[in-house]
This record gives sequence, C-alpha cells and structure tokens, in this order.
Amino acid sequence: MPNEGSKNTVGQTKIKLWVDVLIFIVFLIAMEPHTSGLAIHEWLTLSVMAAMIVHLLLSWDWITEITSRFLGKLGTQNRINYILNWLLFIDGTLIMISGILISEVAIPALGVKLPLGFAWRRLHDMSANIFLVLLGLHTALHWGWVVTTFNKYLVQPIMKLASAKQKKDASL
Amino acid sequence: MKTLGRILIILVAFSIFAGLMVFAVNASGANDPGFNGAPQFRLGGGDGVRTEGDGNRPERGGGGAGGSRWIFDLIKNVAVIAVLVAIIAWPKSIAKKRRKQIRIK
Repeated sequence: MPNEGSKNTVGQTKIKLWVDVLIFIVFLIAMEPHTSGLAIHEWLTLSVMAAMIVHLLLSWDWITEITSRFLGKLGTQNRINYILNWLLFIDGTLIMISGILISEVAIPALGVKLPLGFAWRRLHDMSANIFLVLLGLHTALHWGWVVTTFNKYLVQPIMKLASAKQKKDASL
Repeated sequence: MKTLGRILIILVAFSIFAGLMVFAVNASGANDPGFNGAPQFRLGGGDGVRTEGDGNRPERGGGGAGGSRWIFDLIKNVAVIAVLVAIIAWPKSIAKKRRKQIRIK
C-alpha cells in the first residue's frame, strides 16, 4: 500500500507478501467449488479468515493513519484505496456470512444446524463475483508494491543464487 | 495485548456487518420460501433444517464438473484480474516513466 512500506520492517513485508499470495491462491480455488469439492471449499475459506486477519493486522498502521486523515487532506489514490478496502471488507463479510449460512459440510460438522435460507445462496454467488472484480482493482492499485516486493524477495534472491552457483561451477 | 485488541476490533466490525446483512435479508423477506425467484428445490427433510450430507446443492456454473471446464473457469478468473491490472497499472506506469523522462530532460 502506498506510504505504508516505509513503516513496515523487512520481515513484515515478507510475511505480507506470502500471506497475500496465499489468500490469492485460496480465492482462486474457492471460486471453483465444483472442482475442489464442497468440503475443501468450505474448510479452506473458513481457515483463510485467519490469513485475512493477519493481512489487516500487517496493514494496521496504514488503516489507522488513513482513517484519521480521511476527512482532511488526503491524496486521491489513498482515498480510493481506502474506500475500495472497505468495500472488500463488506463484500468479504457477505461472502463469509452467506457461506456459513448455506454450509453443507463445515458448519453441520461442528454440530450447528442452520435453517434454510433461500436468498443466501444467490447472495453468496453474487458477492463472490463482485469480490473477484474488487480483488482485481485492489491488485491493480497495489501492482507497484507487488512487482517491487516480488522482485526484492523472490526474483533477486533466485538470481543471486543462480549466479553464485554459476561462479562456483566455473571455479571448479 | 495490542494485537489481541486489534483482532477484537476486526471481529467486532465483521460481526456488525454480518448482523446488519442478516437483519436486512430477513427484513426484506427474500429468505422466505415463497419469495419470488426462490429456488424450486428443497434440501433434506421437510423440517426446514439442513442436515449433513443432504446436499442436492447445484454447484456454481451449472454443476458441469466434467473435463477441463475448471481450467477454463480458472483462466477466466485470472483473466478478469489481469485485465483490470492491465487497464489500471499499465497507464499508471507509462505516466510515471514519462514524468521521469521529463524530469531528466
């Protein structure tokens, strides 16, 4: 997130990168329940809530800073980002709550019996499709961070490792 | 302690929104079986309570799990995100490069 990286330590940025990659992959799997199966779909999405909380905790400084400055002077991109993040949170909540209410595997396995809800199924599908678009916008607005962080913590270390191996091979 | 407090704030915000959504759906009557557009199937027994493993639930996309359809769906989802990234991030990066070039000149 813009203006956020300076406050984060290297460790936090690394954790955030991998948490974000995990959330992204889980979301892609969760979007296709007929491929993964309902049990994996439900348990995976329930457990990714923890990853979402970690994601929010790692962005906490940015969230509090922008919340306090939202009505005052604030750059357009930060303002758009902030609104988009709230929309993601609200839509994510709708996906989770509708998913819990139409659950056929995870929630009954916990011994909870819920009444039938006819609207929740359609709301679940609709909110998942909206989430896909919001996630695309979220990724697009943070594309600079994604490229820089991937380059710093994945591409460069691999390149260094490869060049070190080449040097070692050449010296033999 | 600080982290626990923050987790609590996130969960409270989640609960508030979830509560509002449940209230809104129930108040609108969209959850009633007689609601216009409600699905024509019923799950499990007639008591209106879902039981484990009774799911006749139709899967998203018509339930056609056959063949390589899931690959197409996966590519479609990634493509939606990629298109949005290209539309937004690309012009931004070009504008940034131009600004840099102007500054150098």
